[in-house]
Amino acid sequence: MKTTVSKLLIAPLGALLLASFLIVPIADAKERGGGGGGGGARKAASGGDRNVKVNNSKTDVRSTKVRNTSVNNVNVSKNTNVNVNIDNDRRGWDDDYHPIATAAAVTATVAVTSAVIGSMVRTLPPSCVAVNHGGVIYQQCGSSWYQPQYVGSNVQYVVIAPPY
Amino acid sequence: MLQNKLALGLLALALAAPLAQAQTPPAPAAKAGASAVDPASIQALKDMGAYLQTLRRFEVTAQVTGEKVLEDGQKLQHDSSATLQVQRPNKLKAKMSSSRSERELIYDGKKATLYTPALKYFGSADAPDNIGAMVKELEAKFGIDVPLTDLFIWGTPQAPIDKIESAMNAGQELIAGAACDHHAFRQGRFDWQIWITAGDKPLPCKIVITNRADEARPQSVTLLSWNLKPAFKDSVFQFVAPKDAQPIKIRPLDAK
Repeated sequence: MKTTVSKLLIAPLGALLLASFLIVPIADAKERGGGGGGGGARKAASGGDRNVKVNNSKTDVRSTKVRNTSVNNVNVSKNTNVNVNIDNDRRGWDDDYHPIATAAAVTATVAVTSAVIGSMVRTLPPSCVAVNHGGVIYQQCGSSWYQPQYVGSNVQYVVIAPPY
Repeated sequence: MLQNKLALGLLALALAAPLAQAQTPPAPAAKAGASAVDPASIQALKDMGAYLQTLRRFEVTAQVTGEKVLEDGQKLQHDSSATLQVQRPNKLKAKMSSSRSERELIYDGKKATLYTPALKYFGSADAPDNIGAMVKELEAKFGIDVPLTDLFIWGTPQAPIDKIESAMNAGQELIAGAACDHHAFRQGRFDWQIWITAGDKPLPCKIVITNRADEARPQSVTLLSWNLKPAFKDSVFQFVAPKDAQPIKIRPLDAK
């Protein structure tokens, strides 16, 4: 019995190990103030403790491959009102967005060429500097410039031409 | 003797079975057509909505477990929570929290401000002068989903209760120690259930939504806890930007 269980476990664990090298959880680190951590006991969900950090460095990239049809808005009225067109791109406030796949993609793009002006990303590549120019906040990441903005209730970054 | 009795019993059963079968099938069919929507369950929704509209000042916390379906049909659950502080008709503060992000929405009757503490960014937009209209406008203009918007829609003409295709009373259950009436509804591609506190304060205690559009049927479970005598001060509805916070814009949905 024991051997069966351990055999079953070996394959997924291997996949996890492999996957963890492919993953760059930039956004998580940024939003929650640094990777690491995660060791402390999680407080009861009072929604308060900002010092508790989650560590997603071992997240399997497969967990980010979400079907379009899975969006399940937690407001009854929005789901059941036929007048409201539920756009699959629009997510509920509780959306547990996994930025990992996008982060990896952005990093790759930046490494090869520069980011496409006008495109939007949910996460920034590493080593960005915040710049305030004429009262507007930018993030300069190497030769690419990003302007943070709210898209829905999440911050995203639009790739822009250098502002000066 | 015993064997004889058994044989007789079996014979009786065998004879009775076709009869019983012949009698039962028409019943459910007729029933489904005639009373799919139990008017008492619809009334319970209306009563709850009317009661919700009478609440002037309250605090409510939602613990939400949502699900997403991966490409191969495997489901993953995720947890989040939201606390709403409300002063009708035109003040609201929402704190939304999950393991990935924390956000605040502050509405003072004139402006709605989003704030992301971890990034120290905030964005403001002019808003209508009541919560219901504010919620609608943020959704329509910016795609911002305010938590628990149902609470501001139920009890108003916008509540889509006339579209319910099936409604039933599923009995009472204890939710966090309180007796709640359990009602189940079907509507379009969604099944949903609500537990409403029994008695003269019909507050929603639990809401479950099942999405039937996906064969994996992802579901969300929301547990609500209420405080009708909240201690918060009016200052919670004023957004004061922290010293090092930076303003950014809120992108309209029609921006391209």
